[in-house]
Amino acid sequence: MKELRMILKKEFIHIIRDKITLALVLAMPIALVLLFGFTISTDIRNAKISVLDQAKDSQSKLLVDKITASGYFQVVAYPENEVEIDNDFKNKGIKLAIIIPPHFEDKLSKEHTANLQVINDVSDLNVASILNNYVRAVVQGYTEEYNQDSQAGFDITTKMLYNPESSSVYMFVPGIITLIMVLVTALMSSITLAREKETGTMRMLLITPVKKIHIIIGKVIPYMAISFIGTIAILIISVTVFKMPINGSLLMLLILCIIFMLTSASFGLLISSISQTQVDAMMITMMGLFLPTVLLSGFLFPLNSMPMVFQVLANVFPAKWFILAIKDVMIKGSGIFDIWMYLLILLVMAVVFIIFSLTRLDKRN
Amino acid sequence: MYSIEANQLTKQFGEFTAVDHICFQVREGEIFGFLGANGAGKTTAIKMMSGLLLPTSGTATIAGYDILTQSKLIKKSIGYMSQKFSLYGDLTVFENMQLFGTIYGIPRRELKDRIMASLRELDMDKQANTLVDSIPLGWKQKLAFATAILHRPKIVFLDEPTSGVDPIVRREFWKLIYQAASKGVTILVTTHYMDEAEYCNRISIMAEGQIKLIGTPEELKQQMGVDTINDVFVKFVKR
Amino acid sequence: MSAICIENVSKSYGGKVKAVRDVTFSVEEGEVFGLVGPDGAGKSTLFNILTTLLLPDSGNIKMLGMDVIDDYKAVRQIIGYLPGTFSLYPDLSVQENLDFFAVMYKSSIAENMSIIEPIWKQISPFKDRKAGKLSGGMKQKLALCCALIHCPKVLFLDEPTTGVDPVSRKEFWDILKSIRKHGITVVVSTPYMDEATRCDRIAMIQEGKIIGINTPATFIENFKGKLYTFKSEDIFSLLNAMESCPLDCNYYPYGEHCHIAFYDDIATALPQFEKFLSDNNLQHDEIRAIAPSVEDCFIEIVQRDFSH
Repeated sequence: MKELRMILKKEFIHIIRDKITLALVLAMPIALVLLFGFTISTDIRNAKISVLDQAKDSQSKLLVDKITASGYFQVVAYPENEVEIDNDFKNKGIKLAIIIPPHFEDKLSKEHTANLQVINDVSDLNVASILNNYVRAVVQGYTEEYNQDSQAGFDITTKMLYNPESSSVYMFVPGIITLIMVLVTALMSSITLAREKETGTMRMLLITPVKKIHIIIGKVIPYMAISFIGTIAILIISVTVFKMPINGSLLMLLILCIIFMLTSASFGLLISSISQTQVDAMMITMMGLFLPTVLLSGFLFPLNSMPMVFQVLANVFPAKWFILAIKDVMIKGSGIFDIWMYLLILLVMAVVFIIFSLTRLDKRN
Repeated sequence: MYSIEANQLTKQFGEFTAVDHICFQVREGEIFGFLGANGAGKTTAIKMMSGLLLPTSGTATIAGYDILTQSKLIKKSIGYMSQKFSLYGDLTVFENMQLFGTIYGIPRRELKDRIMASLRELDMDKQANTLVDSIPLGWKQKLAFATAILHRPKIVFLDEPTSGVDPIVRREFWKLIYQAASKGVTILVTTHYMDEAEYCNRISIMAEGQIKLIGTPEELKQQMGVDTINDVFVKFVKR
Repeated sequence: MSAICIENVSKSYGGKVKAVRDVTFSVEEGEVFGLVGPDGAGKSTLFNILTTLLLPDSGNIKMLGMDVIDDYKAVRQIIGYLPGTFSLYPDLSVQENLDFFAVMYKSSIAENMSIIEPIWKQISPFKDRKAGKLSGGMKQKLALCCALIHCPKVLFLDEPTTGVDPVSRKEFWDILKSIRKHGITVVVSTPYMDEATRCDRIAMIQEGKIIGINTPATFIENFKGKLYTFKSEDIFSLLNAMESCPLDCNYYPYGEHCHIAFYDDIATALPQFEKFLSDNNLQHDEIRAIAPSVEDCFIEIVQRDFSH
């Protein structure tokens, strides 16, 4: 135990004495979350849309008027059928199409419900999700007015064809948390372990009787701690500045983050176990972990619109499972019974990575 | 005419004076041994003389050029070789020489002939297309020297060129140094092998940034009343 | 009993470069054993194998009765290692580095003060300085302290004096002398032939092969040629001229002197050589017989292929 404490002390000394890296690692989460937050939440005005009004009755006209009056949208086409909508996407550059079902007014008054279809151009996911929210807000306002007039209780559901999961603006917070944790824990742990190989201190460590698992733990815990601080900072900013809701339990969220950090750090160790220099470790982390995390985690690009190969490949990277879990916890408010599968997957990955690193650490040939 | 003329050359890093007002001259074609303990200031002095580092005060002329104002011309007229960096291991022998030859502006047509002539002299023309990594260290060092003089510099700085090289190759290396010197190339060499110091025409011994002793090996031995340069060195540092 | 028994050890990298070829020798307990040879001769590879960091392709090694290959964990408890390059933490202070390795070895500084004291006395004034900011000699001494902190039975020093000036080298060997008083077996590698005489026994290594093992005195006794020395104004033109010398001899510069070893009948060889010098107008002083040094022995063994 004394050895482990000493190793941890040494790692923390490395971290504290390297002022530039420390500042970078602590400031980066805050900078990233502010950057993403403010660029993504920029208002969009006069987005081009088209409306397929299959009802053409007084209520449908009223709804279209509301949509136009909101200032968010500019109706550039009134197609006659769904095929034309497709053409509008291609030729008129519309960002969104709304389909009002036939007999809209009748349905509202008789069934007290009607289905509005919203079709998005998800080539820019962020714009699409913002516009969806705008539509929802306009429809919400319309519903409230209608209900006031007629005293009838009903609601309207919107349906997003290309993006059925209804991604929200807040999607970026789980994404940033993922990136930060991958960057800090995986990159830092892989670089520092590779540095010990490069400078020869690893040889000095290996010929001492110290247990290999202690060396490994020493590389994992400190960077988990640093990245934990970053995660807390992101959460505080998200909640206070961007009014991000945390619907699930905070404890559940933190436990989830800690488990993901462990997985990321062990992935970092795995990388350093196959690299000889710090540059190797950095390149492999960037290409082999960071890029897939950005591209294949479902954070920026929805997974189910990707070719099957990538969807399968995404399963190998811990980020996908973490994003699924953290979205459930933060947005849906899920608890342990809903996300235990994801936690288990992340833990199993961590164990596999650590075992592999252990076998490679003292490779004597 | 002197090839190297240092005049009150000084370099300070903050409070620390690495090179302290050194003055010395090296004649054309002379082999000058630049000795001193680790950290005595040899490397800093060589960096200033090769135009890589500006002095805090004082100056030096190298091949007639002023290190303060003409460092570009100096770089063209000197060659440099150190034990730490010599050649690229993942390039072939020929590619390395071609690279450095081109950097120093040897005309393309002439370059190939010069490289092959130089390799023949080393008896290495068959290894022209071998990767540098796969040739023995001693040969690598000889090759690095040949590369450093490929552009026919007036002065060559050799920083511990024979460190870790076996006794036979070390002697072969010195034969190359003598050949170059006999063609008029001025050689400034640092070494920790004191027997090599005996091969120099003149040597200087640096300590604490200053040149404490300078002269022919014979003169220094007489001055200190000992038989070998090794004893000169030991006696001098102990003093 | 032998401290280390090495039998038929070979190691190659990538199936191509044979770094160590069929090496066999033993090191006695308590002796200072020198591994002498140029860089790239295989010294470092052999050291990595002996310090359990590298597995040989073939061969057996026993260290104080333990198998270095199978029982490497036990071997690690009893060895100390000073690598050829500075391998301590540059951002930790002198004291922090020493504390760290003491704990790693489940030892303490106080416990082994008697061994490290002569070195510790020299570096303790700098104990709060970062290791990376020490001078080369001081770094080396700190590394030696760290290697001795658990009172190892066998100490491996990989080129501790390469690139170090003659005075610091002498100091380092004086320190080694004090270490051996504690009965520690020392295996040291060096490219400097003159240091070999300070070892009890030496193994000369060239291109991965051991080309001779003996005490320095025996090496000198076994010198096959008749060695002569003289001074000349121009030892390097002499070197060129010697290419046409008909005698069976070995000529090379040796510091300010010229050395020549004759392998023909000496009664006829020496006069023939003097005639050769005067025929070529090569000036020289008196040609005297001298006893060879270890360096002369190395040159003879390599150039005349006397390795066994």
